Amino acid sequence: MSLVRWASGLLALPLLTASSAAQIRASEAASVSQTVDGTKLTVTYSRPRGRSRDSLFGKVVTWGEVWTPGANMATTLEASKNIKLAGHPIPKGKYSLWMVVRQQGDWTLVLDPRAELFHMAHPDSTAQQIRFPVQRAERPFAEVLTWSFPEIRRTGATLAFQWGSVYIPLELEVEPSYSVAFPAAESAPYLGQYEYKWSMPGVGDPKPVAFIVSYENGTLLARWDPVPYPEWSRFVLIRIAPNWFVPGFLDDKGEVYEVEKGMVFEFKLTSGRAAELEVRGEDDKVMASAKRKS
Amino acid sequence: MQAVCSRRGFLAWAGGVLAAGAPFLRRSPGHRCHASAGGSHPTPRPGITAAKVLTRDQLADTPAIIPVFDQVREIPEIVDGIRCQCGCADLEGFYSLLSCYEGDAMARHCPVCQGQGRLAARLHKDGKSLDEIRAAIDARYG
Repeated sequence: MSLVRWASGLLALPLLTASSAAQIRASEAASVSQTVDGTKLTVTYSRPRGRSRDSLFGKVVTWGEVWTPGANMATTLEASKNIKLAGHPIPKGKYSLWMVVRQQGDWTLVLDPRAELFHMAHPDSTAQQIRFPVQRAERPFAEVLTWSFPEIRRTGATLAFQWGSVYIPLELEVEPSYSVAFPAAESAPYLGQYEYKWSMPGVGDPKPVAFIVSYENGTLLARWDPVPYPEWSRFVLIRIAPNWFVPGFLDDKGEVYEVEKGMVFEFKLTSGRAAELEVRGEDDKVMASAKRKS
Repeated sequence: MQAVCSRRGFLAWAGGVLAAGAPFLRRSPGHRCHASAGGSHPTPRPGITAAKVLTRDQLADTPAIIPVFDQVREIPEIVDGIRCQCGCADLEGFYSLLSCYEGDAMARHCPVCQGQGRLAARLHKDGKSLDEIRAAIDARYG
């Protein structure tokens, strides 16, 4: 062997190693992750393709089969905190996911705490599993099996499965980090109108504006008049400590879409009634201050 | 009313404060200053002083933050009993929020470190105990 050929052989070794690590798979590995109010949710799975096979369900996946909605190693769902799935409590942890597929009626979703199972395991029913029926819907054909989070809300999300024309949306609830509810009996000290002045350069109106606190539907509501930005037209005051609140900004449906922790409203009470307040930023500098008018 | 800054502008401003400090905040690969909850507060070390807190001379290039370093320098026994919530508490060599004001001094650039220092000083001035200050820090930054 010439020196040149020997050397080129050496050079090729790392390339061979690299190429052997790569592999084209009929069902490529994937994962989808979503955080909702501090709860991290991850689905890890392999994605089979239809590959022109007819009747994915009934032939490729036989009726009555306890099937992992994926391929290769069983699909897993991991939740960093306790959740509810379709109304069923799921303790935090990692589970393998299985579905009992039926020609008629609802399918059954199975969460098995044995997360590392091969797709051929088809686990029997155990006391440790969480099982509940799920309803199917029809959607335009999806070639590749897909898990997704098509909707996100303050208190949860929709976790959706689709392959072929079968679509299964699962309502998922997380443990909320804040309660927007506020006791009516404790609201009186804060209610009323304040003269409010932004003190951060370049933010808000340089002139005083009205800041109004009211009580509606079990929440402490607040708004500026005029508003600094349309998206901040009104918000709930969420109590984080005695007399300290963070704003939960509301969308046009009245749902909280964002809680801004970098903006703390500190009310100062005199004789049991809020006389003034300061708004402090993440750096604890005063962003705005206000004094009661009525 | 004339809004002199949009909400997007406000958020960009807020993000800019963090982003401006980001290059200086890396103490280890992949780390940057960010709000992070969890962990218990440390016990103040007996006899702890502010001897290692950066001096006014060392902060000459960032005069705006000299006051908060001055505030922290006055209450090392309090600040040493607080776990920083910005994410730096897991770094090697970190003991307490006081560590953020020493050496590389993450508090030079991190608004969360600065905010906790200001809040601790403010509440201490109001006569609050260490436990009350810890509870307030947890409510705000935890």
